[in-house]
Amino acid sequence: MEQRALIVDGVRKRYGEITALDGVELEIVAGEVVALLGPNGAGKTTLVSIVAGLRRPDAGHVTVDGIDVVRHPHRARARLGLAPQELGVYPTLSVRDNLRFHGELSGLHRAELARRVAEIAEALALEGLLERAARTLSGGEARRLHTAMSVMGQPRLLLLDEPTVGADIGMRAQLLTLVRELAAAGAGVCYSTHYLPEVEQLGASVAIIDAGRIVARGSLGALVGAHGRAAVELRFDGAPPALDGEPDVHVEGTTMRVATDAPPAVAAARILAGLGTATVRLRAVELIQPSLESVFLDLTGRRFAAGRNGDAAPR
Amino acid sequence: MTSARSLAIARHDLRVVSRDSFPLVLLVLVPLVGMVFMKSAFRPTLVAEGVSSANGAEQAVPGMLVTGGLLLISYVGYGFYREHAWHTWERLRASPAGTAEIMTGKALGSLALAALQFVLVCGLGSVLMGLDVRGSWAGVVLVGAAFGLFVVAAGLAVTAVCRTVMQANAIAYLGTLVLSCLGGALVPATLLPGWAQTIGPAVPSWWAMRGYRAAILGGTGRAAAAAAVLVGCALALALVAAWRMRFDETKTGFA
Repeated sequence: MEQRALIVDGVRKRYGEITALDGVELEIVAGEVVALLGPNGAGKTTLVSIVAGLRRPDAGHVTVDGIDVVRHPHRARARLGLAPQELGVYPTLSVRDNLRFHGELSGLHRAELARRVAEIAEALALEGLLERAARTLSGGEARRLHTAMSVMGQPRLLLLDEPTVGADIGMRAQLLTLVRELAAAGAGVCYSTHYLPEVEQLGASVAIIDAGRIVARGSLGALVGAHGRAAVELRFDGAPPALDGEPDVHVEGTTMRVATDAPPAVAAARILAGLGTATVRLRAVELIQPSLESVFLDLTGRRFAAGRNGDAAPR
Repeated sequence: MTSARSLAIARHDLRVVSRDSFPLVLLVLVPLVGMVFMKSAFRPTLVAEGVSSANGAEQAVPGMLVTGGLLLISYVGYGFYREHAWHTWERLRASPAGTAEIMTGKALGSLALAALQFVLVCGLGSVLMGLDVRGSWAGVVLVGAAFGLFVVAAGLAVTAVCRTVMQANAIAYLGTLVLSCLGGALVPATLLPGWAQTIGPAVPSWWAMRGYRAAILGGTGRAAAAAAVLVGCALALALVAAWRMRFDETKTGFA
């Protein structure tokens, strides 16, 4: 039987009149990387906060590596690592001291702690920066440190909330490699991102959350197969014109989106030919291939880029 | 394991403070400078109280130990507010350290600061001001330890009820002034107005001054009693802090 790094069972959470999570179900097995995708306000951050034991669910259960996070929060937290969306490092301390502190909190001491600092520093290319104060690091370096702090305790479940924001290509590659290595070593990884190519690079399965519910869960291939219709998106100066002969047209503001089973380039040629005089008001055309982007579009009715800011639970 | 995590948090906080030690220097310098100005002014009062050989340090040193110690109330809060300002608070909460371990670690770090301040202010003050302890140094240390506990507990309680560092600072600074005055730390209690002398025993700083002066001028029993009152106040404030501290509350610190 596969070991579950995370089980989220019927979790609900309300903030006053706002329903942040509405019966979320999610499982991550040991060694699996799950990309958690969702538009702004979908409930991602609330879900991550509840899994990390920072907030209590109104209903439902969460277990991390078999430990209930509400009943045994300390034991559960000992099994997880969290890198929140917001960069959180101690700016006046050195990189080494930042890492050491989180290692000590995870119960590491002396030789074991020093070995782990060296190991993580090497994995995220921080060796040459160990004695530098965190405030002197570049944005990408600080983001590496931020992520490194979350894996000091060799967590069974790793929660990474947009870990590559502000990172350059090299750092992104290093981080993805580290995530793959951690997963290969048996950790479950919940990876929230807005960079869809990362999902494919990680070989991650996907969980799409929208309006507080997981609306799709599965491998990338299966989801693309089930929901990944190609589309042509056209943006106009003013309201889009009526379009005859296209059965699946969605208009939002000045944008018209036409879903199609044909290759999108072929469909685009057909649509453009049918625009008539409205062509002069056409400002942009985008072809959306069957992909995670089109899956997201099909399930939520929104482009993925529309939800870049992440949700934020009330304080 | 519990104590190891609390100690790690305490060490970490001290490391953070040591990286920007200028405020700490002020915590020692302010009381020392105060002593210089107050020593000669206090001598006549002490003589009038019957301490014929007094040089003024018997009031100036404990007075500045109390006032300087009260300044630490703000520093206790900084240990929390800076975690919020640096966005490390949620990481700390998501670590294996429990709430009690975090509170204990933060308190231990602040207690270490209080001890360092006491040793430097008391030691340098004694040498530079010519303090003659006729009672017992053990009594001075006992009162200093009890007052340190009170200050740290007060800092935790203020942090627990204040959402922003500015609110906490306002309360801490006002509290420092009021407690110093009512306790007889800035002006000898015998010179205070009648109403202030009446309510003086209701404030912990009054007991700290009473304990220090008893230990310095002779009267170890009264020093121990004063220390016991201070420990009681510390326990009461620690309970307030434990009751009111909301770990999931977002506080606003200096960015």
